[in-house]
Amino acid sequence: MHPFFVWLEATSLSTWIRESTSVLAFPAILTLHTIGMGFAAGLSAAVDLRILGFAPAAPLLELRRFLPVMWIGFWMNAVSGVLLLIAYPTKALTNPVFYLKLFFIALALVGTRFMERSVFGDADRDLKPAARKCRMLAIASLVCWTGTITAGRLLAYTYSHLTSLQ
Amino acid sequence: MHALQFWIYDTLRAMKWAKPFMTSRWGWPFCETVHFLGLSLLVGTIGMFDLRLLGMGRRIPIRALHKLVPWGVSGYVVALITGIMFLATEPDQYVFNPAFHWKILFMAGAGLNMATFYLTVFRRVRFLGSGDDAEVPAKVIAALSLFLWIGVIVFGRMLTFYRPADCGSEPLSSISTCIPLR
Repeated sequence: MHPFFVWLEATSLSTWIRESTSVLAFPAILTLHTIGMGFAAGLSAAVDLRILGFAPAAPLLELRRFLPVMWIGFWMNAVSGVLLLIAYPTKALTNPVFYLKLFFIALALVGTRFMERSVFGDADRDLKPAARKCRMLAIASLVCWTGTITAGRLLAYTYSHLTSLQ
Repeated sequence: MHALQFWIYDTLRAMKWAKPFMTSRWGWPFCETVHFLGLSLLVGTIGMFDLRLLGMGRRIPIRALHKLVPWGVSGYVVALITGIMFLATEPDQYVFNPAFHWKILFMAGAGLNMATFYLTVFRRVRFLGSGDDAEVPAKVIAALSLFLWIGVIVFGRMLTFYRPADCGSEPLSSISTCIPLR
């Protein structure tokens, strides 16, 4: 195994998250990761559904107000995700599925940025049917978050090495 | 109380249809994935509706946003079906698990809360238009909804960490939280 994994897994933070019997260690971090997932992926999906024409009477621009909550969920997951990675670097980084998950997240972020400009940047967008480009972005967003959740869930079943430590 | 637990346990164990699929290579991981996708859809759409009642995105008429609620319900149904498949496959891991008892309690609370919403304030709240603020009882229900669904996630996650052990010779308490010898 890579010496970096061995070093990281021996740090006190990594050891604490992995081995502590405290509910505030691994269980709480994993729980925060799931709550963040619900709000990040879920609110994105709700916005996507509106763009695709469900709930057509909801003014699209006003959905902007929910984006900060979506971003709180996202950053909750970025932080808890890094902590989980510190706990089990070998498990994640030797698994191709983990890189697939990162790829989906990166794509979802780029898509969200585009959406913030094209959908929420146009003041006249409100009630007219969303343009083709916006619909494509919404579909891409749904695909990316579904991919992220699927890859994330499969991490528990596809890893080949749990830790580098013996 | 544990007589009821035994009955639930036996009923779940009799549901043999789930087992062949769930014990196949990708059966359980597939259902876990679908369970989490359903969860996200539920939290995203119902959570957005709750946040609107609490005053976020106030320019959105309630009726317009309520159109997303069926999506939340379908997320719930999907999570419920996959949840029952977990139960039918490993009943003792859930029926005797304290985290599962709390999860069921919070799910029942969320259901009751939703019923209260539709039976009381919904009649008035549905006519709230752009810029209208919801009444206090509606806000309380919305806040409770967020709290209860987050609680369901918390205890769902805790299931793994409160897996029941065999009871051994311990006398059973009113609710069994260990797997009794039969």
